Amino acid sequence: MPVVALAPQESRILQGVRIRPRRQFSGRARGERTSARKGVSIEFADYREYADGDDLRHLDWNILARLGHPVVKTYQDEEDLAVHLLVDTSPSMEFGEPTKLLIACRVGLALTYVALCGGDTIYGHALGGRGAPRPATRGRIGVQRVADWLGRLASTEGDSLLEASRRFARSGAQPGVVVFLSDGLDPLVSRAVQVVADRGHEVWFVQVLTEMELDPDLEGDLLLVDSESSLEQEMTANSVAIASYRKALISHNEEIGEACARVGGRYAQVQVGKPLSAFLTGSLRKEGWVE
Amino acid sequence: MNLQSPGALLWLIPLAGTILALYLMKMRRRRLVVPAVFLWPERQDEVRANALFQRLRFSWLLLLQLLAALAIVLVLARPQLLQRGLAGKVTAIVVDTSSSMGASDVVPNRFGAARKAVADMIEAAAPSDRLALIEAGPTPRVVFPLSSDPVAQRRGLEQMKRYDAESDVGEALRLASSLVGTTQGGTILLLSDGAFEPIQDFVPGKAKVVFMQVGSKSENVAVQALGSSEGPQGKLLYCGLKNFGSQPARVRLTILADGRAMDSTDAALDAQGTWGKTLRVPRETKVFEARIEQGGGFLQSDDVAYHVNEPGAVLRVLLVGPGDFFTERALVLDPRVTLDRATSLPTSEALGAGGPSNYDVVVFSGTAEKPCKAKGVLTLGRAGDSSPVKVTGKYAKPASFVPTHDDLVRGVRFDGVYVDTGERVRPVGSGRIVLDSDKGPIIVASSGARRQVYTSFAPLESDFPLSVGFPIFIANALDFLAPRALGANLAVSPARSQVLPWPTDGTVVIAGPAGFSAQAESRDGRLTVKGLDRVGVYTVGRGKGAKRLLAGLRSDAESNIAPRSVVQLGGEQVARLASPVRFADFWRPILLLLLAILAVEWWLYGRLS
Repeated sequence: MPVVALAPQESRILQGVRIRPRRQFSGRARGERTSARKGVSIEFADYREYADGDDLRHLDWNILARLGHPVVKTYQDEEDLAVHLLVDTSPSMEFGEPTKLLIACRVGLALTYVALCGGDTIYGHALGGRGAPRPATRGRIGVQRVADWLGRLASTEGDSLLEASRRFARSGAQPGVVVFLSDGLDPLVSRAVQVVADRGHEVWFVQVLTEMELDPDLEGDLLLVDSESSLEQEMTANSVAIASYRKALISHNEEIGEACARVGGRYAQVQVGKPLSAFLTGSLRKEGWVE
Repeated sequence: MNLQSPGALLWLIPLAGTILALYLMKMRRRRLVVPAVFLWPERQDEVRANALFQRLRFSWLLLLQLLAALAIVLVLARPQLLQRGLAGKVTAIVVDTSSSMGASDVVPNRFGAARKAVADMIEAAAPSDRLALIEAGPTPRVVFPLSSDPVAQRRGLEQMKRYDAESDVGEALRLASSLVGTTQGGTILLLSDGAFEPIQDFVPGKAKVVFMQVGSKSENVAVQALGSSEGPQGKLLYCGLKNFGSQPARVRLTILADGRAMDSTDAALDAQGTWGKTLRVPRETKVFEARIEQGGGFLQSDDVAYHVNEPGAVLRVLLVGPGDFFTERALVLDPRVTLDRATSLPTSEALGAGGPSNYDVVVFSGTAEKPCKAKGVLTLGRAGDSSPVKVTGKYAKPASFVPTHDDLVRGVRFDGVYVDTGERVRPVGSGRIVLDSDKGPIIVASSGARRQVYTSFAPLESDFPLSVGFPIFIANALDFLAPRALGANLAVSPARSQVLPWPTDGTVVIAGPAGFSAQAESRDGRLTVKGLDRVGVYTVGRGKGAKRLLAGLRSDAESNIAPRSVVQLGGEQVARLASPVRFADFWRPILLLLLAILAVEWWLYGRLS
């Protein structure tokens, strides 16, 4: 079982930042993130007329004394943010050295670290697998537990990305940021993004690809076998075929990015073999995924 | 396109079959598990096959390889293409430049058409083709030798000319055979109307003989005869016409006496028919001219004839014997000579027959002399009862000759002349030795009422005819046997060198028809005139001593301009070529195409692999 962990320098990059969604979500637990709802906290929000039943502790006695009119102070509520990690565990994630699944888990751990340190809640889901989702994890102490969970993930043959996304959407998960950690090598991946976004989630898509997938070095007459569907396709790998594949891959990736942009989400690509810090300092920090 | 080896096409079956079988074999593909296949194109450009079997699918490689196989098989089949022009790789072109080639039944005339055909051949010849051009005139000559230089060939072609005379096609063909007869695949191409006697003694060797007929029609009427005789009614002029065409003809004939028209007649001639007319003419007329003004057909050179009515203007010679080419050629060098041939002496010419002789000189060559009525007799080789010698035996190979100062041997050198055998003789009567030898008299002459010259050997039993002195000796003999009284007019044959007695040495100007002009040098009292190639009146010299040479064509062979579809060449019948085209090898372009196909196939293979 591979150990999913962050290098010290990667942890340093992630210190002092927290998840920055494009919009606000209602939390289920008190957290460190201001809510759209008024609540009890030290963050002043506004004044309003006193009404029967209002907590007298929030009455502004100074105004009442000067004006003779009761006014109460209202405060911003502070809630947590639900961050759902949807880790693709389909067989195609087993490609690469190290595997795409491991890289996806490390990206997930990095986001977990940011979220839990920022007082947010992490939910773990293994896409494609039949197992139950990981329960909510809060607090810094939960980082290791999530790491352990990520380390136990293994690729299994199961539902397609779209079916797994639908099941997630139907599960009634708390709206929040949904992070797809997948290679996205599914022709219906854009539909999966849309399905999740329709449930009120903000979709972040982190696509993990190997160098072999980005720049295949194949030649000769081949019988290609799909690792997930086991479909076979005869193909002669020559310059024309390689160029055609590259063009199709670029188009497919752009389609994923556009699908994310349509629903107000984010898209980033991580290449197996490249340092994870590039993603952390690039997409995560410079592109404003975290603040 | 024609295939020399069409059987080679059968190779296409196993070749194409092998290629197709290779494409029918199923590819054993390398199995490769990939994350997803939907991004990969379904391309099946198989370049190798190593298992059995699959459905045949279209492939550019397959198409190119089949094309390459087809090109290989085509090359093996040795394709040929029809091309204009008749020339082969090594070709000697013989162009008939005789009088009949002047027939205008084709534009501009047969000679012009033949010249254009040669120009086309030069134009169509490949750089490796070698052509030679031979002018088959009265004296055949090589216009340009075997070469691959089209510029020089075109320049030489412009110098080729036509003659209003009979041509020596046989000699021209022999000349062509000496050029290409030893070359495998050589071609002798004869461009002619076929209006010549069957050619004997011609062997083409390894060369192929091709006859391209020029001309299309036969309509022609010729002045076949024009002569005068003294009769009881006075001087009579006879004029004969012949229609050589296949259709009846109607012509207008005009007779001129010393340039003045004295008669004009419309004559109707059947196909192949003759027509004649006799006129009483003044005795003092010097030159008669018969001219067909209208309806003369396609050949003009035989539409006019001249008859000179001056003493000494005509020397009628009868050559008796089995045939002696050298003597015959030497005799006709004299412009006065009108030569007839006979294998034996006609009874009308025998001594004792009634009437005067029709000949001024009788020449016995290779046959025994017979007593005849002629006042001059030249006996070459075999003496008779009337000869100025008595035969005493035979001799062989005389070692030395002793000439005299007699005019008969003036200018003739006998040093080195080889005589195989001859008659050992001694002079009798008025006979005098002109040339003696260690084996006895060689030449004996006698003067008197009859003049005789006797040689003790026949020309063909020696190499004397091959020496320069032989025609001089014959000319001297004719001068001796029929002393010259050359007038101002002389009837001659065109395209023959004429030797005239000329009193002064120097340059003599010659003017002729159609602006002809030339100069000749007279030496030793003789003037050799050359270049009188066309019929017409030529004026030699100026002033009082000027002579008029009247060149007219009288040749049935030339007047019969009907183009022959088959000619006899060396005992073989050669049919005319139906079409002026030839098959030329066509494998080089296909080979280049094959290389191009293989280059594309190689490029495509590299791109697909």
